[in-house]
Amino acid sequence: MDSESSNVAFALIGHQDSWQKISGFVNLLRNTSQEAEIEKQKIAEVYSYFPPCAIFDIDVRSITGITAKGKYIETFISPDELTLKHWKNNISKVKQAADCASNLQAGIATLGGFTSIVLEGRVDMLNGNSKTCFTTGNTLTAAFIVKAIEKACKHFNKELKDQNILIIGSTGDIGSACVKYFSAKVNTLLLCARQQNLLYQQQKELLENNISAKESADVTTLLPEADIIIAIASSIIENFDPALCKKDVIICDAGYPKNLIDNLSEDLNERLFCGGMGIVNGGYDFTPSFHHQLYNFPIPNIGHGCLLEAVVLSFENKNIAYSTGKGNISPEKIEQMYDMAQKHGIREAPFFNTLRVWD
Amino acid sequence: MNTTTLTPEKTEIYWDVVTDMLSQAITGELVGMSNFATLTGTIDDVHEKMECAEHANCERGHAEGFIHLAKKYKLPVNINMDGYYWKNVRECFLRWANKPDFIGCIIIQEVILECFAVSMYKDVGNALEDHEIGQLFLCISKEEEEHIEHSIDILQAELDKDYAGFIQKVEDIHNDCMTILAEWSATVDLKGHCGVCRGECMKNSLYAAGMDIKSLRGNAINLYLKTLDRIGIPGTKSLQWIANLPM
Ligand SMILES: NC(=O)C1=CN([C@@H]2O[C@H](COP(=O)(O)OP(=O)(O)OC[C@H]3O[C@@H](n4cnc5c(N)ncnc54)[C@H](OP(=O)(O)O)[C@@H]3O)[C@@H](O)[C@H]2O)C=CC1
Ligand SMILES: [Fe+2]
Ligand SMILES: [Fe+2]
Repeated sequence: MDSESSNVAFALIGHQDSWQKISGFVNLLRNTSQEAEIEKQKIAEVYSYFPPCAIFDIDVRSITGITAKGKYIETFISPDELTLKHWKNNISKVKQAADCASNLQAGIATLGGFTSIVLEGRVDMLNGNSKTCFTTGNTLTAAFIVKAIEKACKHFNKELKDQNILIIGSTGDIGSACVKYFSAKVNTLLLCARQQNLLYQQQKELLENNISAKESADVTTLLPEADIIIAIASSIIENFDPALCKKDVIICDAGYPKNLIDNLSEDLNERLFCGGMGIVNGGYDFTPSFHHQLYNFPIPNIGHGCLLEAVVLSFENKNIAYSTGKGNISPEKIEQMYDMAQKHGIREAPFFNTLRVWD
Repeated sequence: MNTTTLTPEKTEIYWDVVTDMLSQAITGELVGMSNFATLTGTIDDVHEKMECAEHANCERGHAEGFIHLAKKYKLPVNINMDGYYWKNVRECFLRWANKPDFIGCIIIQEVILECFAVSMYKDVGNALEDHEIGQLFLCISKEEEEHIEHSIDILQAELDKDYAGFIQKVEDIHNDCMTILAEWSATVDLKGHCGVCRGECMKNSLYAAGMDIKSLRGNAINLYLKTLDRIGIPGTKSLQWIANLPM
């Protein structure tokens, strides 16, 4: 048997965040002989019933000359099901996707974006008795966010130590990694999330270590003070109001689906970038090439931090559960992962948002 | 609808839906019985020949079980193997039986048709759980699972023998037979009335028995894709086949 599972170094488990991408992808699968395209509504009727499976192969090239071969496993969690109501069904889909990775005998598998949230980072639930290791991919995501913020400060001639950084989703896995990373490097940390008790606890620990920090569950009270905003929450920030922001604010929206609204005012568009994204200077290919439908960015060779973490780990032959649980990402682990990535020509992406590239 | 518990009230529409469900199940079982009986003629292996006769008898027993309960509850079932969909399913099977192509027949009967039977019987059984008829649907769904299991090893061996050739055969059969089931299980019968439902299509009244056609069809496609995966068909391929079905 032309066994597919002979050399699968990594598996990327993910989901799509828009029906437009999905209908482009499904209609690409339809033979050209079929007259009409299937409308989005018809696709939506069946899409979430598809069982998770590998849908394309990925070759990623390191600048050291080696190539890692992997597969993308689609969970078929639909864009309308990223809420609490579908939690149980989503966990089952993530587990089925993890079984696909194990059956493919992938060395390392990563849980892209929402899929790690569903499990609260509890990748240990997935191992069963397979040799595949699971990581959330959140360390490289955090690395790309913090390094891009440092780069943006230089870009706008700002001294990091004078900045107030607002982190929306500060109590989350990636949010708390950013808090720890910037603790001793900035003027004040502005912490925001919905659950007040966790926020208060986070602030208390920072103050106890003489780190200036303010917290509020209401982002509108913090926006006026923020020089830099990192949006890394797991749902849309309904009351985000650009009018409250400083004119020279830097905004990094690293949430998937996007946390902040797209139609920001004209001048803010030059100061907002999609966060947690990296660039693969060695390049990558999909077979079949579903780039255009599923993985299309304004710049070539762009990838999500959480997915690229598995690629870096397989380049380094480190099939280990590198990022697990929630709140365990230290500044040291961020630097270590970032260094490994850079060795292979993988680093934070140039600045871009859904409207333009501005790097 | 009784709001305290989820079990639907036994309205007139409820019994119409149950009747049409039984009619579809009996008709499907008789098609299955006929298919397995035909199979005994296409194979030389004596043990497989006898096993097919046993399967045919098993489907006959299922039909008898449904007919018995329909009589017991005075439900006027309508058995029609000549309605557009069931007739075309049977004719599709006969095309492969007359080649003869035993493997093709196994794919139609033990993968495609049984995946729909296992999944839909389970959903119907769960919806009618508080009733003897529901219990029978759940019990037969369990039994039909054995037919799927029986086919997996045979078809994995075929895949190992000729990877590309086998995948092409499954694709041809998918386009041939699965298209009919997709037309039959779409939200609206794509090729007109099925000839089995007594009034207009029961799909419009499934709500009365706590069911809906989208999840009935979605769950059947889910089991079908999982079965193809277990056989070894690559995900990109089976997804492409589904994307090319009438919706
Ligand atoms: N760019 C990339 O490659 C990646 C991006 N991501 C994205 O990053 C985001 C966070 O991931 P992760 O840290 O793992 O998730 P977590 O669930 O660990 O953290 C989510 C954080 O967001 C907060 N939050 C959720 N909704 C809101 C809201 N409406 N307003 C304010 N705070 C909110 C939560 O706190 P509370 O519940 O108390 O509000 C929590 O602090 C997700 O959107 C994910 O898709 C993840 C991985 C990779
Ligand atoms: Fe049967
Ligand atoms: Fe009908």
